Amino acid sequence: MFHQTPLKTLAMALLAAGGVACALTTGFYGRELITEIAILAMLAIALDLVAGYGGMVSLCHGALYGAGAYAFAAATVLAGWGGGAGILAAVLAGGIAAWAVGAVTARTQGIFFIMATLAFGQMGYVTVFDARALGANDGLPGVPRLDLSAIGLDLGDSRSFALFCIALAVAAYAFAAALLRSGFGRTLVGIRANAARMRALGLPVWRYKAAAFGLSGAIAGLAGALAAQHTSFVSPGLLHWTVSGELLILVILGGLGTLVGAVLGAAALVLLKHQVSGFTDHWHLVVGVVLIAAVLAGGRGLYGGIEHWWTRRRMPAAPAEGGGA
Amino acid sequence: MLDARDLCKRFGALTVTSGVTLSVPAGERRVVLGPNGAGKTTLFNLLAGELRPDAGSIRLCGRDVTALGVDARARLGLSRSYQRNTLFAGLSVRENLALAAATAQGRSATLLSDSLRHPAVVETVAEVAARLGLTERLDWPADALPYGDRRRLELGLALATRPRVLLMDEPTSGIGPGAIEAFHAVLRGLPADLTLVVVEHDMDLAFEIADRVTVLDHGEVVFEGPPAAARESPLVREIYLGRWRRDA
Repeated sequence: MFHQTPLKTLAMALLAAGGVACALTTGFYGRELITEIAILAMLAIALDLVAGYGGMVSLCHGALYGAGAYAFAAATVLAGWGGGAGILAAVLAGGIAAWAVGAVTARTQGIFFIMATLAFGQMGYVTVFDARALGANDGLPGVPRLDLSAIGLDLGDSRSFALFCIALAVAAYAFAAALLRSGFGRTLVGIRANAARMRALGLPVWRYKAAAFGLSGAIAGLAGALAAQHTSFVSPGLLHWTVSGELLILVILGGLGTLVGAVLGAAALVLLKHQVSGFTDHWHLVVGVVLIAAVLAGGRGLYGGIEHWWTRRRMPAAPAEGGGA
Repeated sequence: MLDARDLCKRFGALTVTSGVTLSVPAGERRVVLGPNGAGKTTLFNLLAGELRPDAGSIRLCGRDVTALGVDARARLGLSRSYQRNTLFAGLSVRENLALAAATAQGRSATLLSDSLRHPAVVETVAEVAARLGLTERLDWPADALPYGDRRRLELGLALATRPRVLLMDEPTSGIGPGAIEAFHAVLRGLPADLTLVVVEHDMDLAFEIADRVTVLDHGEVVFEGPPAAARESPLVREIYLGRWRRDA
């Protein structure tokens, strides 16, 4: 069960404060990194919601992210809508696509679910790759940023945009945390723990899985809309399964099923990639070694490890250990 | 309350359930007996909706539920416990019971409050835990419980939905003689208006709690009547008690 523990609150506050501090003090390149982390963190939160808490390990979140990015780009560049309508379109595109994938795949489990989501994701990738109207494999350039000049914010400025992305990442975390603490979130964890039993208790399981997947996709779509604005460009690569794979790697690295771990994993991966690519092109190799180390070290991930250490330190004789025999 | 007519189920060439008719009125305690492989668990899976019958029909509270799935039948008041524990691993006893109660009370989709802390859910959890003697264990992880307690929690999940009809598949399987006596007491203490269908291996329990006994053999009903008549029936002795005595 998810609990917004003081440790989680502290970790999130530190991560957000660190991001804000970097956005305010570093140069252009630092702000770009912070923006990238905030967007990736939002996407990772979306994945952890379904994979960590709902037991639905998805390999199509890259495609949902891309769906959001393309929806925003199409709405603003092709249809000439405003940024606000573009963001709404992105959230809806991600949410509806994810709900549909979730509804179709809800009856599958484990490896079959993973393969089904992979197939859907790649279908999305191929469709966009071949879609002339969406620029095919060249993508769509010239994506504008949301106009917030009405409230005195110029998102064209990299510092404002970084802060805007951090604020939305924190909001996505708060949304996911509130959802997991609600009756719906409890149900989701019940499905992960024992879907057959939930059904025997009277739950129409597939509807809940589809709804959870849809909500997760809506967050992924929002992250996609931010990514499109960040680089002012969308390309089919956003939807490729390797994006989903890397996302899964960073969520496991940060701590699957901890929510804060998704944010920590996003920060760790982007910074690691940045540091390592300074002296070698083979940064994937280093990330791979780090992931293997994290999995071999108990699979709790960075935040999971911290949380485990913290609870053991505070409660050496928890009933779990005390009553094991 | 629960009416099954002419149920048939085949797996390939093997007929596991053959023309089974079972009619259990409200509040009755029915025990289903039969040797291993008689088709008891298959019959349960048919009644609960986990398997679809090849022929026949099932009515629950006067409503035809033959085409309904497990979850829809559960929402109509049919609950079951399993022969092998199927608990919510990784969650505490309290969370296990609360999930069952919240689901049955239709609180699964609440977005603005924690369904597990709703007063009606908390009350059900306390009542079911007290009934099963699990009050002291509420904060234990379900996986850390001794086997007998896990067996009770298995029943607790079914009871927390406050069912009208409860199907119990070998509730005492695998627990020791001392714990079985305690289990009898729990079963005797269940609400009188609860309709109970129990698959049981333990003959003493069967004869102690049953209003009526149904005996299955090779997928067919070979006897139905009061426990005393089952004891006297030469047929039942032949196919069930006989083997049981030789085993003992």
